[in-house]
Amino acid sequence: MFTSHTVPVTSILIVSHGGSPFKSSHRSDKNKDFEVMSETESTSDKKPEVSNDDSVSTGNDKGSENQSTKVDILLNATGNVPIMKKRRWAVDQEKPISWIMKFVHKYLKLDPEEKLFLYVNQTFAPSPDQIVKNLYECHGTNGKLVLYYCKSQAWG
Amino acid sequence: MANDREVLRIVWEGQVPVCFQADPDEVVGLQQPEDFYLMVSRLSYLPLVTDKVKKYFTKYISNELQDGEIWFDSNGTPLKSHYPIGVLYDLLHPEDDGLPWSITIHFSKFPEDILFKFSSKELVESHFMSCLKEADVLKHRGQVVSAMQKKDHNQLWLGLVNDKFDQFWAVNRRLMEPVGEQECFKHIPVRFYNEDGTYMQKLISPINEAGQKRTLDDLLNDLSTPSRQAVGVRSHGVKIHGDTPLQWMSEHLSYPDNFLHFCMIYENI
Repeated sequence: MFTSHTVPVTSILIVSHGGSPFKSSHRSDKNKDFEVMSETESTSDKKPEVSNDDSVSTGNDKGSENQSTKVDILLNATGNVPIMKKRRWAVDQEKPISWIMKFVHKYLKLDPEEKLFLYVNQTFAPSPDQIVKNLYECHGTNGKLVLYYCKSQAWG
Repeated sequence: MANDREVLRIVWEGQVPVCFQADPDEVVGLQQPEDFYLMVSRLSYLPLVTDKVKKYFTKYISNELQDGEIWFDSNGTPLKSHYPIGVLYDLLHPEDDGLPWSITIHFSKFPEDILFKFSSKELVESHFMSCLKEADVLKHRGQVVSAMQKKDHNQLWLGLVNDKFDQFWAVNRRLMEPVGEQECFKHIPVRFYNEDGTYMQKLISPINEAGQKRTLDDLLNDLSTPSRQAVGVRSHGVKIHGDTPLQWMSEHLSYPDNFLHFCMIYENI
């Protein structure tokens, strides 16, 4: 395409097409303390966040309006549920709550029949098909969405 | 005001005529069952109004399917049983045509990749209460709903299930008032539906910076992009007038879950 394209861009493109999904450590995330929450199936939507147009990246500094942006979520344990070693995660904003529940369930290695409940700000349980973006827009605080998880119903 | 209470009544009494049909692949015996006609409340949920439908069709299907997870589709589109019936109907009938609404009942092959299992009344109830709580978080920072007693919550739910307007509104009235000295809610609980049945939520303020009440037209302006203009919304089967204040809509046109459910009409520019 452009003759001036740089070497890193091509190498990232090659990795994202044929490389292992686990070799994604080169991705430069703005928030270093937020680990990217992902599963092996979700490689297709991992567009490298590299722009070949400088004006775009500076003009769009807030980033929250961007389609492929990730949302920072904080997962807090409530009651007799194991604590997650890593509480802060960056999640694709189009992901549904059911996806996060599955992720936490798997991460905590719960038995398949064990239930997991998820709450927003200790107030209400979002619907499993609710997407992260909607919750972040309406209930996010200080740039992140705070979720609480437990094994029994806590806030109704 | 008396006139406005009349609006609540009209919204409450909205119904859709439905023609329930069996899935021909599930019927045993030579005779196909006759269709089952029912007037259902727009504000209710499929699992709350289909006990009789289920009982009727159970007689015609094989024994091993009778305990299966029930689900419904309309012309091939699986129906989300945690959406209010009126929202489902409006989404699938942009022109408000095709009555009675034909819905097929299935006892097998639950489409787990598309639908979540909200088929029991208990699950719909907890979903309903969660929506109500979320709406109150948006309107009053959750202060009103959390100050209520369990019996008030039950009264809201039972009012809806048993179609008791007075019972429901005796409690819901408290959720639909601004608190303290305020004239408006903090935010308006509203879901904007796309054609595919997904929805978007945003923080919507009922007033502008100057303290004036915002209208539906103001909101449509905000939701428009250079390539796509929001030109209107439909809810309860009607297109809503652009100069209607958002606060009034929230108080009078919300579903029992305390959310406004808007089917969006967009025009590409």
